[in-house]
Order: sequence, then structure tokens, then C-alpha cells
Amino acid sequence: MSTRETILALEGVTKRYGDAPGVVGPIDLAIGKGEFLTLLGPSGCGKTTTLQIVAGLLEPTAGRVMLNGRDITHSPPPQRDMGLVFQNYALFPHKTIFDNVAFGLRMRKVPKAEITERVMDMLRIVGLPDVERRLPDQLSGGQRQRVALARALVIQPTILLLDEPLSNLDAMLRKRMRHEIRDLQQRLGITTIFVTHDQDEAFEMSDRVALLDRGSIAQIGSPEDLYDAPTTRFVAEFIGDANLIDGQVVAADGQGLVRLQIAGGSEMVARTADTTLAPGQQALLMIRPERIELVDAAAPGTVPARVRNRVFSGERITFELDTAGGPIVCTKPSLPQFRLLDPGAKVWLQPGDCRALRAS
Amino acid sequence: MSAAADRRFGIGLMTPIGLLYLLFLILPIGFFLSMGFFKYDVFGLYKAELTGENFARLVVDSYYQDIVLLTLKLAGLTTLFSLILGYPLAFFLTRTQSMWRGALMFMVVAPLTTGVIVRTYGWIVLMGAEGIVNKTLIALGLVDRPIQILHTETAVVIALVHILMPYMVFPLISALASQDPNLERAASTLGASRARCFFEVTLPLSRAGILMGSVLVFTLSAGSVVIPQLIGGKDVQMMGQSIYELVLHTLNWPLGSAMASLLVLMQFSIIFLYFRSNRRARR
Repeated sequence: MSTRETILALEGVTKRYGDAPGVVGPIDLAIGKGEFLTLLGPSGCGKTTTLQIVAGLLEPTAGRVMLNGRDITHSPPPQRDMGLVFQNYALFPHKTIFDNVAFGLRMRKVPKAEITERVMDMLRIVGLPDVERRLPDQLSGGQRQRVALARALVIQPTILLLDEPLSNLDAMLRKRMRHEIRDLQQRLGITTIFVTHDQDEAFEMSDRVALLDRGSIAQIGSPEDLYDAPTTRFVAEFIGDANLIDGQVVAADGQGLVRLQIAGGSEMVARTADTTLAPGQQALLMIRPERIELVDAAAPGTVPARVRNRVFSGERITFELDTAGGPIVCTKPSLPQFRLLDPGAKVWLQPGDCRALRAS
Repeated sequence: MSAAADRRFGIGLMTPIGLLYLLFLILPIGFFLSMGFFKYDVFGLYKAELTGENFARLVVDSYYQDIVLLTLKLAGLTTLFSLILGYPLAFFLTRTQSMWRGALMFMVVAPLTTGVIVRTYGWIVLMGAEGIVNKTLIALGLVDRPIQILHTETAVVIALVHILMPYMVFPLISALASQDPNLERAASTLGASRARCFFEVTLPLSRAGILMGSVLVFTLSAGSVVIPQLIGGKDVQMMGQSIYELVLHTLNWPLGSAMASLLVLMQFSIIFLYFRSNRRARR
């Protein structure tokens, strides 16, 4: 991000719907040129509202939208030059594929010969030659999705906006389209804002992810940042699986390292983004299930546990373990030594990469 | 239940209403319409003698020719004005978030809830020589003498547009309401102004509603009797009135029947064209 020049910035953008309780914002967000940013979050978190504000389909109640340093908060959509792909694609059902893709160019009064050339080029780029005479009804879901992409991209928008474009596709196709869209975005170098509720999609495609919770950004960063260093319980639970254990701070160095005591008496050292955590305060210890080593003898920093359940799901095995501090989930690759670990077996856990969060 | 039993059960359900239609609708209408091919007889209503002269007369006799042409003209104008006035109304009613939406919808249907006679007398009170419109015009000094409003084609079209408005507006509303709102949003992000959005997306996609509303208004206005009778009077003769006259006053059933057949034929052709164009549009 630091190396990119900011192309779009939301400054304190807020949207209220009459007296309805759900408020979106204030949201502050800067998107770099060529960046692929995902707005991720559960339904109702305000991600689509934010996208529509960027597209100009909704006017914010407060705040500014800046495009290349220009205030576009009150510019109508036709003046924004953004390509938007809708969840339901919103292809014009009465127009052929060619006319659908050509629509934006016609509105821009591009010469006819150039329209034909650019439309055909774009259809080739999205992998759909030879469908230009058909109607949207005559295409499959995946093909329609590509047409919608072509229609948004052919106008060479400043920013490409994608509103859950993959959620109407079947699982196989969805996975393939993730890579296709990311690949296309990289090839064209186009700044993209992608909205989804699917964490896998967000992680596989994005440079940065903004996780939204009840109308505001809970955390923004690279997928690795969000996964490794969540700053709140919401982020820790929404992104991947997390063991969250109640504990108390016994020591803190004020620079991001704390020692926590969890129920059962064990003490753990954890990193934290919250340098205000002080001894005596309640805190949450977060451990990702795959960062836990299982050892067969007690050692410093280990926690005794008993296997309650073992779930085999092909490439990995999930253990549900009981400890004095409560249940803990741990995942392991599907290797022979783990397949032999039956319910009832006694093991010692050696957690790695622990994070401490302020108890909320 | 087997498919055959299912079918028997279905037929059983349909039999009573089917018989009712057959006995009291299809047979009498069939009989009446077929009378158009019989010879007129002053004393016995008709003579059982086949002839094409009744239909020929409708085409050749300029009196009846005028009636047929006037009917087409007034039904066409009624359809046109219903569409011009009804489209903005339907558009507004589908888009409005107003708390009055329900009340406004009711106002569209309201004309249907009053009896045809009451409503038509309302028009007479309004448009007569001593009517409100004329009194107002005179009071404002715009005219010196009452102008002729009643008994004109204009008055008939105004009254027909008024009463038939719901038949235009509701198909339009259903066509407009079923449109995906994202289509207009997509058009606007692609650079289309509000006007372009309307002409490129909204209007073509409401085609089915326009056709349906037009077919309804056209067939209903072409077949209307009471409004042309009371508001148009003798000066504005449409086919419905003419059939009524021929059957009940002149007692020329064969000619009345021929006229009725022609009316039904006109209405059916419109409906046929509607279905054909719909099927083409879907393909």
C-alpha cells in the first residue's frame, strides 16, 4: 500500500437510512492505484452500501468521496467512470451480448468501428468469443458473469467495482472465477473493489481486505495481517477458526508482548497490538488451531489435555481437546501418527503464535 | 393417483363450469353470430336463407362504414391517450416510497367502483351546456356562449380514457414493478443519463405491459355502449350503440349480428396480434 499512490479515498463516509438503527460509517478508507481491495463482512455489515456510495448509486449522509483528489461525493454515476458488476449481473435482457458490452461505449459516443473492435477484444479477453449475437438468457451463469465483467471493463473504468459477483455460481465455477478475475485484474492493472461475505474469496484474491462489522471497518490489512494479528474478538472469530481462551494479564512490556495466565493456571506469552494491556486486566488468548503442536510429554509452556473427539476430513484431522482452561480445537495434517490418536488419549499442547486481545 | 385418474379428476372439476359456459355463453353467442349470415325479414326477424348481404352492407353502406371507422378511430385514440397519461402514472406509482401509495392506487381503481350510469351522469353534469366546465369558462370570460363539449368525439374519448385507465395502468405497473432495479443502475454507471436509461432500458422492458394495457383498453373501448350512448348521443355513433339499436329497436337481427361479428373479429385480431408479438419477443 505504501508504494501505491492513492486513487480513491473515503473520508468519514456515513449513511443513515431515515430513523432506521443501522448506520453505515463513518468509514475512512484509501485505495491505491492498481490495488485489489476487498470489503468483507457478514450480511448487513454495510459493504454493499459502501460500494454503492463509491459507485454514486447512493449519496452518503455525511463524509466525502475523493477520486484522484477530486470530490465526487455528489457526482451522479454517469460522471464517475466506474465499472460495476452486480451480484445478479444485471445484463440488459433485451439486448444482445454485443449490445450489452457496447452500451457504455455508445453512451460515450465512441465511433462505431472502434466500438466493434473494443467489444470484440474485450469478449476475447474474458474468454467469450462467438457469443456476441446471443441474448443473455441463452448463456450459462458463468458466461453471463463474464459478459458483466466485459461490460464493466470495456469502458476502461478508473475503478472496477464487484458486488458479490461470484455468489450465484456453483462451487467449482466460483473457485475458477476467483483466479480468473484476479488474473484479469493483474493483467489490466485495474484498481478493484470487491465485495464479498466469503473469506476464502477475499483472501485468495485481495491485496488488502477491509473487514466490516455493523457499519464500520473492524480491521484493514493484508490477508496475512488479518489472519495472524486480529485486533478484536470479531476479527479473530470471523477470519478462519480461532481458539479464544479467557485469561488475565500477569505481565506486559508495553511494546506488544504480554504474559497471560489462563484458567487451570498455565501461563502463556502472547503478542498483542494493544499496548495498553496492563497486568491484572482481563484478556483473551487467541490461538489458531493449526499453530498448536501436540507433544507426548510435559515440557515448559505446555498445557495438558485429553482428546475428546477426532474428525477426519481427508487432507486434515481436527481434534477436539479438553483442557483445564476449556475446550480447544487443533488441526493436524492427515498423517499416520495423528490418525492413531484416539479419543481419551492424553497429550500436551504447545501453542505457537499466541495473540492477546482485550476482553470485550 | 395415476396420471389418468388425475386427468379424470381434473375433467370432473371443470365439467360444471364448462357446461355453464357452453349452454349460456358459447351456444347463444354462436347462434347470434351465425344469424349474420341469414336474410333479414321484417316480420320474422330473419329468414333461414344464407346470404352475405349483411356483411356487404357494413362495408358498402357509408352509414355503417362510418360507424366502423369511427369506432376504430375512437378506440385507437382512447388507447393512445390512456397510454400517454397512464405511463407516467404507473411509473410514479411503482417508484414512489410515499405513504400515500396505497391511497393513490385506490384512486386509480376508484372509477370502477362506481356504477357506469352514476359515473356517466357525473360527466354530463360536468360537460353539459349548463355544466360546471361551461359555467367556469363563461365566468372567467373565456367564452360568451356555452361551448359544445357533450356529444362530441372528444367528450367520448375523455370519458373512455377515464373509465378505462385502470386497465392500462395495472398491466404497466406489473411490467414496471417486475423490472430489476439493477438494470437502470447498471445503465447509469455505464454512463447513461436518466433519459437514456429510460429509453434504452425501462421503456423497452415494459413492452409487455404496454401491449397488454393497449389490448385491454382497445377492445373494451371498441365494444363500449353506455358511454358513447350517453355522452356521445346520436352524434357519436360507435359499433356498440349501433348493435344495440339494430337488435333492440330496429329489430334487424341479421345486420346487428353481422356488426357484432365484425366487432368480435376486430377485438380477436388485436388479441391474436398481441399473443403473436409476445411469442416472437420471447424467442
